[in-house]
Amino acid sequence: MKRLATLAAIAAAVLFPFLVTSPYYLHLVVVIAIFSIVTMGLDIVFGYTGEVSLGHAALFGVGAYTAGVLAFQFGLGFWIAIPCAIVVALAFGALLALPALRVTGPYLAMVTLAFGTIVAILINEMTFLTNGPLGISLSKPLFADVREQLPFLEMSRPRLRDVEYYYVVMASFALVVLVINRLLASRFGRAFEALRDSPIASDCMGVSVYRHKVLAFVLSAGFAGFAGVLFAYSEQYIAPNNFSFELSIQFLLAVTMGGRKSRVGPVLGAAIVVYLPNLLADIGQFRAVAGSIAAVAVLSGGWRMIKLPEERLRTLVPVLLCLGFFVFSLLLEKITDYKLTVFGLMILFMVYYLPEGIWGFVRTGLAGFVSAPAPIAARGDDANVWSATAPRVAEGRALLEVKHITMQFGGLKALDNIDLTVMPGTIHGLIGPNGSGKSTMMNVLTGIYTPTAGAVAFEGQDIQGQTPSAIAGAGIARTFQNVQLFGELSLLQNIMVGLNHFYRGGVADVALATPRARREEAAARLRAASLLRFVGLEALAHEEARNLPYGKQRLLEIARALALDPKLLLLDEPAAGLTAPDIKELIAIIHKIRDHGITLILIEHHMDVVMTLSDTVTVLDFGQKIAEGKPAEVQADAKVIAAYLGGSHAEAA
Amino acid sequence: MQILAQLIASGIAVGMIYGVIAFGYQLTFATSKTLNFGQGEALMLGSLVGLTVVSFTGYWIMLPIVLAFGLVQGAVVERLGVRQAIRTKSEAGWIMATIALGIIFKNLAENIWGRDALKFPSPLPEAPLSFMGVNVLPMEVVIVFGALAMMLLVEVFNRRSIYGKAVVATANDRDAAGLMGINTSLVITFSYSLSSMTAAFAGVLVAPVTLTGAAMGGALGLKAFAVAIIGGLSSGMGVVVGGLILGITETLTGYYISTGYKDVPGLVLLLLVLSFKPSGLFGSATIKKV
Repeated sequence: MKRLATLAAIAAAVLFPFLVTSPYYLHLVVVIAIFSIVTMGLDIVFGYTGEVSLGHAALFGVGAYTAGVLAFQFGLGFWIAIPCAIVVALAFGALLALPALRVTGPYLAMVTLAFGTIVAILINEMTFLTNGPLGISLSKPLFADVREQLPFLEMSRPRLRDVEYYYVVMASFALVVLVINRLLASRFGRAFEALRDSPIASDCMGVSVYRHKVLAFVLSAGFAGFAGVLFAYSEQYIAPNNFSFELSIQFLLAVTMGGRKSRVGPVLGAAIVVYLPNLLADIGQFRAVAGSIAAVAVLSGGWRMIKLPEERLRTLVPVLLCLGFFVFSLLLEKITDYKLTVFGLMILFMVYYLPEGIWGFVRTGLAGFVSAPAPIAARGDDANVWSATAPRVAEGRALLEVKHITMQFGGLKALDNIDLTVMPGTIHGLIGPNGSGKSTMMNVLTGIYTPTAGAVAFEGQDIQGQTPSAIAGAGIARTFQNVQLFGELSLLQNIMVGLNHFYRGGVADVALATPRARREEAAARLRAASLLRFVGLEALAHEEARNLPYGKQRLLEIARALALDPKLLLLDEPAAGLTAPDIKELIAIIHKIRDHGITLILIEHHMDVVMTLSDTVTVLDFGQKIAEGKPAEVQADAKVIAAYLGGSHAEAA
Repeated sequence: MQILAQLIASGIAVGMIYGVIAFGYQLTFATSKTLNFGQGEALMLGSLVGLTVVSFTGYWIMLPIVLAFGLVQGAVVERLGVRQAIRTKSEAGWIMATIALGIIFKNLAENIWGRDALKFPSPLPEAPLSFMGVNVLPMEVVIVFGALAMMLLVEVFNRRSIYGKAVVATANDRDAAGLMGINTSLVITFSYSLSSMTAAFAGVLVAPVTLTGAAMGGALGLKAFAVAIIGGLSSGMGVVVGGLILGITETLTGYYISTGYKDVPGLVLLLLVLSFKPSGLFGSATIKKV
């Protein structure tokens, strides 16, 4: 089905210049394809990592101006401009992403806006390079005059030039679709979505949030730069005001409106955004469109009001808005002046009523009629669950040694001079009343907090102060008290994020689909399926993680942590919220993990679980260690009883 | 030396305007952790509405009318752009919606008042006063004291009145405030009203010195954001200092380098602060909870 649609699209694209001879429409399609390259690239940042970028017009402009300056100052042409523009745009993308180290959300949006403004000012002011506000003219290249060789091509020189350029742009477009598809289906695409859903869990799975966010911006910038060159040569004239803030808004509108996280959506959006000004140029046509939108809204709204009487009011609002829009179109004389208002209203409408965009809406609608193709079944086996990594510690030495750790938040000492020694191959229980500092300890061990004082040695190496992803790479994996799954990824993909460390191939491998990339992907898939099987979730491999019941989410977190091939696994309240039979299963799973040589630290409030599993138990209370020893000893300790049941230390003593 | 003092004096006036707009960002960020990306447009609308009103009423009677307009405009932004997104916890949602409202306001203003910059009549004599050889416009003095007075008034309101305490309570913990019977969504609407009101006020303060027009908002809104970040989104002192830093660097750049580049240092400063100390020079870092 999908293949058929792709083939039809390719055939239509190839035949188009011969079916439609109007240069106007040929140019329109070229511009749509160019904008689509930008919006598909923007979708990497906006749709997948979830960051709003208001700087893409500037990146697009950087690409266009690289071509412009090369032609204007140095007389260098199209083929040289393309690699140069991509490299320059990549560099600007990296620059833009630099503050992403620290900030996200609205901050990052403002950063991109500031970046866009700076670039616009520079283009305008650096007259010696860019010819300033006067702009730069270029001429479209004629790649090969094939009229002699192909006598049936009866066309003029300018038309041949246009047609050739059309094919170059279409080929570029196809190439970009292919590369983006590959990238987003790979570990990089999974990492982008993972860091949006839970940045902390990504870091703790060894997927550096920072590095991948920069990568997303850089890739996206590269596509924007590439599109910029194509745009410069298609328009044959560029000026600073081509690449204003307004254009960034149009790109975002295109992605939102078309639908995020797909290829079809951004292309659809680009087509609308490019075609809209033409529509607005003709008031009669605009009124007709506004009228038909209003008619559709009244019909579908009326139907909905009859079906769902309790939502009458909520349905009424958009219907009235559409009608109001129609009236607005009748009142106006010159619609072009209101182009931005129309854009703004469209964004508002999308945010309110179609947050998934047109394609998202259609896709969910289609899902009812056409059954989605079943994803390739992932079959795991017992042989691929474990990947042996013996801890590198000498006989009789500790795997983890925590020395005098203090963690202070303002005046509160959440951990006060704690020592902890974990021997390899054991299960170490960590218990204590709420607020005693157990989770803080987990966060210190995994690098989320940097301790105020003290040292943490893992396999003899000091790890305090390292980033969570570096510590994860060293072999410490964890689960979270408040489950931190990647909600919009499938179970299988969640585990594959944990397997990120196992890949050796880079972006180029993925883009070119080298044998190594394919081999690694297949192996990771097998391993992930095997891990799912190990925790008994194989049947749900392709379900989105957010749809799982709570108990199963905890099991999935354990499987994901095991994907890191940890030497030390930290489980933070794994039994919380589990039913009695689930707990039994969990105990069996933990035993198996230990039997495969993985050391565990277990935080748990279910005393029976801790006491049956643990070799050693440490008890914390108000940030201090009050007892340590064999489960039976700890249970008999007067201080521990006092901490749990109340009473003063004096009484206890 | 003379020139430097002169530049610093003008920089202070510009900086106070940035400070008061940045203060508006703080108001909404405190209650709802959202910002109006169309804050500059709120300022522009206030200034243009003021321009229309001023010809009927004169400058001083126009002020309360513009302030009332700002209150309404802010409430509209919150209702249309932010409320839904807060409910669905969609960050991209409110960013996009406030941007959309901003461009709609700008476009409408272009169609009502035209695209050209307009002269705003000054209520005070336009002959500069001279302090030790430094020329200062009387209006610049009004800007400095007006901006400070506005920030002080809002602060006093927040600290002293029971309504203000509801704002502070919502800022501290929205859920807990809601459980104590405070209508937090009304408080958020109100904070947007206050925020747009301060922006509109800044608009009519600055307009007699600069010019006014539909395009005035964008750059001001962005630079005020830079000030809010440099100062820290939670520090009242920060926006004043941040505003002054930015205002002065800007006039200096404009004079010593080129007016074309005068917006650059502020934005570069914004990028640097966000890269190295995102909580701002005066803000305190928050601890993420896992």
